[in-house]
Order: sequence, then C-alpha cells, then structure tokens
Amino acid sequence: MAEKSPPKAAFAASGIELKTFYTESDIPKAHRARMNLAPGDAPYQRGFHPAGYRSKPWRIFQLSGFGKPEDENERIKFLLKNGETGFIMEHDRNTADHCYNVDHPDVVARREDVGLTGAVMQSVRDTAICMDGLPIDTSFGHAGGAVVQHAPFALAAYWTVAKQRGFDLAKIAGTGQSDFNLTYLGCVTKEQIPTQAGLRFNADIIEFCDQYLPRWVPVSIAGYNAADTGLTPDQELGVLFANAVEYLDEIKRRGNIDVRSAAKACGGVSFRASIQIIEEACKMRAARLMWSDLLRQRYDITDPKIANLRIHCVTAGSKMTYQQPLNNIVRGTLMALGAVFGGVQSLGVSGYDEALSIPSEHAHQMSVRIQQIIQEETGIAHVTDPLGGSYYIETLTAQLAEKAWQFFEEIQGQGGYLAALDSGWLHSKASDNQYKEFMDTESGEQKIIGVNCFRDDESPFHVDGFMGTDDAFDVATSRLQDVLRTRHETAAASALKQLEADCKGEVNIMPAMMQAMDAEVTLGEIGNVFRQVYGNWNTPIQT
Amino acid sequence: MSQAQKRILMAKTGLDGHWRGPTIVARALRDAGFEVIMIGMANTDDIVSAAVDEDVDLVGLNIGGHIDVAKRAIAQVQATRPELPIFAGGTIPPHAAKDLEALGVEVYPPGSQLSDIVDAAERLTGRK
Repeated sequence: MAEKSPPKAAFAASGIELKTFYTESDIPKAHRARMNLAPGDAPYQRGFHPAGYRSKPWRIFQLSGFGKPEDENERIKFLLKNGETGFIMEHDRNTADHCYNVDHPDVVARREDVGLTGAVMQSVRDTAICMDGLPIDTSFGHAGGAVVQHAPFALAAYWTVAKQRGFDLAKIAGTGQSDFNLTYLGCVTKEQIPTQAGLRFNADIIEFCDQYLPRWVPVSIAGYNAADTGLTPDQELGVLFANAVEYLDEIKRRGNIDVRSAAKACGGVSFRASIQIIEEACKMRAARLMWSDLLRQRYDITDPKIANLRIHCVTAGSKMTYQQPLNNIVRGTLMALGAVFGGVQSLGVSGYDEALSIPSEHAHQMSVRIQQIIQEETGIAHVTDPLGGSYYIETLTAQLAEKAWQFFEEIQGQGGYLAALDSGWLHSKASDNQYKEFMDTESGEQKIIGVNCFRDDESPFHVDGFMGTDDAFDVATSRLQDVLRTRHETAAASALKQLEADCKGEVNIMPAMMQAMDAEVTLGEIGNVFRQVYGNWNTPIQT
Repeated sequence: MSQAQKRILMAKTGLDGHWRGPTIVARALRDAGFEVIMIGMANTDDIVSAAVDEDVDLVGLNIGGHIDVAKRAIAQVQATRPELPIFAGGTIPPHAAKDLEALGVEVYPPGSQLSDIVDAAERLTGRK
C-alpha cells in the first residue's frame, strides 16, 4: 500500500499555523492557569457573566437606513416589529461623512446617490422625523455618526430630539461610534478633519457623556472597519487596543475626568465576525483577556465593571458574495455562530444581498431570523463559553493574544496609532493583506463557493439590488430650504459663532453643538466651521 | 519594447470612501505593466478633463452608488472622446450591470477574477 502523503499546511487567517489536532501540552503554560477560571472572572476570556446569555441574551442590532428620514424610520420599525432589540440609524454617506448639506456641489453632482446608504439628516428636524415613535427610552439606540467629524452632529441631534420628547438624557442608552478605523483607515472621505482634531472631538464626547449621559457609549472603536479593510484577526485586536490607549492617554493628559470612567466608556467596542469561525470565537475571547490585562497593567484598573469588555459584532460584509447570493444566508449564519461562541453581547448579520446593494426588507428580516434561530432553537445560549477548555480553542486564544500584542507594539514603534494612520503605515499593511487574499482566491488556493468554483450562472434564485427611494435628494433640498427660511436666524448665527470660538479654543465643543441644534444650525454649516478651523487631513493613500 | 505604456484612468463616481476594490484592481493593472492614474472620488467634469489631459487609453470607474451618476460620467466621456473604452467595477446590481453594458461599458462586479480584468484592459487598450 502506498503511504499517505503528509497533510498540507493549514493556517488561520491570522497566519498562525494550525496543527491537525491539539493536546493539553500545546496550551501555553501561562494560559493554563487562566483557562480554568469561571466566566465573569478576570481576565474574562470566558465571558462577561457566569450565566452568560441566560442572564442577558445578545442584542439583535442591525445596520439600517436609506432614503428620507421617514423611509428609514419605517424600516427601523419593521425590524423592531420583527424582533430586533436595538436600532441603528444610518446617515447618508454623501452628506454625513463629509458634513455637507445637499446643496454642496459635490452632492448635487451625485443627487441620485443621496439616500442610498442612509437617510439624509441635515438638521434636528430631519432627525426628529427619523426618530418618530422609536423606543429611545427602552432600546439601545445607535444615533449614527460613525465618521469622526460627523459624530458631534449626529449625537447632538439625537440627544436634542430625546430632550424635546421629554426624556432624561441621564437615562438613555446608546452609541454613535465615531470610529477612527472607519474614518481614517477603511473609508477615507474626500474631506476630513485631521486625526489630532478627531482625537479632541472624541475626548470631548467622552467627557460630555461622563457628565450628562452616563449610560451612553460615547465612542465605539470598531475593529470591524480595520478587519474589513484587510487587517488580519490578530492585527484587528492589536489596532483596536492601540486606538483605545490613544483615547485613554489623552483623557489622562487632559485631566478633566477619571480615566476609569473613560475606560468604562471605551470598553464598548465592535469586531468583525468573519468566516474562519473558530478563530473568530477565539478572537472575542482574546479581546476580553487583552482588555483586562491592558487596563490592569497600564492604568491600574481591575474593577470588573470596567475591565469586562463589551463586544458588538458584525458579520464580515466582504465575505458576502455577489454570485449565488442566497449562499450568503449560510455564510451569515456561520459567522454569527462564531460570534456567539465567542460570547459577544450584540450582533448584526449582513444581508444576503450585501455585495449587491443595501439590504432589501426581506434580506434584513432574514438577518434577524438567523439570530433568532440561533438564540431560540439551537440551545447554544444555555451554556456560557461552550468551547472553553478545548485544547485547540485555548491554544489559539492564547496565540492570538500574543500575536496581537506584537502588532500593538509594532504600532507603538511607528509612534502610536495616530502616527500609523497619518503615515499610511496601517493602510499599506491592509493593502498588502487584501492583495494576498485576492491572489489566494484568484489562484484557487482559497476556494469561494459559487465564485471561483461551483459557479452557476443559471441560478433560479434571482436576487437584484435594492435601490431604496428616488426622492431623497428632492425632499432633502426642500427641507433644507424650509429650515433656513423658518429658523430664528439670529440664534443660529450666534450658535455658529459660539461653536467656532469653542473649536478654536480649548473648551468642550459639545455644549456649543447642543446649542447649535436648538438653534437649528444645519450639518453643512457645522462642517464649514470644522473645515475652516481644522483644515483637511492629509490622506496618505491614493484611491 | 517599442510600444508606449498604455495609460488607464481610475475614478470613483460616488462619495463613499471605501477603497479596497479599486486599489486592488490598480495594483493588478500596474503589475501587468499599465500606467494607472487614480483620481479618487471625482465629479463627471473631473473625470472627463482627466481623460483628456492625461491622454488615457482606458477609463475604469468604481461605482459604489446609483447607476445614474455613473451614466452621466459615461455619457460625457463618450461625447468628448467617443473612441475611449470604459470598464466598471463596484457594487453594481445585476439590473444596473445590464444598463451599463447597453452603453458599451464592460462590467466587473465583486467576485470577478483579476486576470479577467487585466485581460480586458489588454484587449480594450489594444495591447493584445
């Protein structure tokens, strides 16, 4: 009989070589003492609470939004009716990411794009329409403002509407993201405030929330946006914590609030849940372990309420295929499973039409159903950290953390996270990985079902892109004119002047932002102040 | 080689800054010996003037938004330099891909092979 050939080398997405099986002796010695602790015990790799999902199911939290504010409102209500347990308000990228009003020439030139990726909200009136009837007192809300320069507007508008409706800001829970990985790495806008100004904005938001909105997650660092731009899982971890220390060190330097409350605020993060699901589950475990170690070692923080990382996850949009899109229901299910095995607190599943367009109503509903089936039918939620103790899982968790710390140190060697963004160092890392990933698919080394193998151009399951509504630009234009015509002009001018003064000075900009919302100052006017005061980030990449 | 290096203009029609698609394509085209001029997020007028000023042999459009925005750019490029070929990639749903193909634009949606894109560039620029 011929001898069997030795098995082909196999690697996790992080580049860690995988054995064909694992035994106890593979687990790094330092990790062995930790792996026997219960969930809820530091360093928390086993999870946030001993009773896990029995004490609190993960939040079903889907990205949503398009068209006019009322279209977005209707879709959010549809998702809530279908069982979503938090809600996300997406803003139109053209206007929001750039802080432009719809009459900006670059927006007018693309009027059909307006409303395609989120609702247009240029004033607090628009935000009020989008929030109409939403359970902002009982649900965790995402106000939008994923891009750093847009966050002050999105948050201030949301909070102003909440106040107008009589809610106590101290009691509402939610987030707005304001993510550097999106803004300066993954989705580089045409104009953006420089990273130092962005850091100041986020510190202002953290301090403002500390004072007035203790239940709000002021900024939410999104590893997702680094990973879907090309960083590997270990790099995603490393970059997220490199970002976190930049915020916390800045808060310490400013000395206005206790770094412990800032650490609690920054401990609500998001990761990508990608398709190598065992590694992804290990990544979530490693993340909690790393956060706990980081806070203890660098800031002397051990309070479990702070050191216990809270994780939101979104399944990897870039893993969803254009070809045979119904296969993406399976991919979404698997990626969601990886996240749940990793013990995340909140989850969004990409639509099966992700590679074609924004989600149709049906695709959106399917994303919710995937989560509900895992939550209610599989029994996975009964036991916390169901994979814990496996030789493989514990080894890979420890290896990922170790490799992630190496990347964290590499970033420090570049002068820190902000410097690594400004120089384009992180972009070139992401770009190299993207290219390698693409070439592996191209060569067939990495098979993608329906894309580079098992192709089927005659699929009977036709899915076309969902294009939203076609009147978003026109309606936004007339609403902008209405606001400018009917608001109290003296109040608006004075609020803008105050904002400009505060941006130039050193006081927190958020009180002036709130005042600007009361005076119905519009998004584009605020953007003009930012551009005038801070100038434009010198983008290190050519797109 | 006697033949001058063929030049390709790449532009994004939308204001969405996601960059991984177009940069991978640009890298593959450069590796294949093309000169690639990237102008990022560009309005129709910018695309047309770059196509003329840079004397390119092919225009590549990254379309992340509505097809009507791309159509305006295509119409103006075709009106200015009728012989200039155009290809497109990005999040282009099937119905929109059909519309673009009817205008003579070759469409490479997500999942396209880089080798097919490079082959198209060779063919459309007359290098092959």
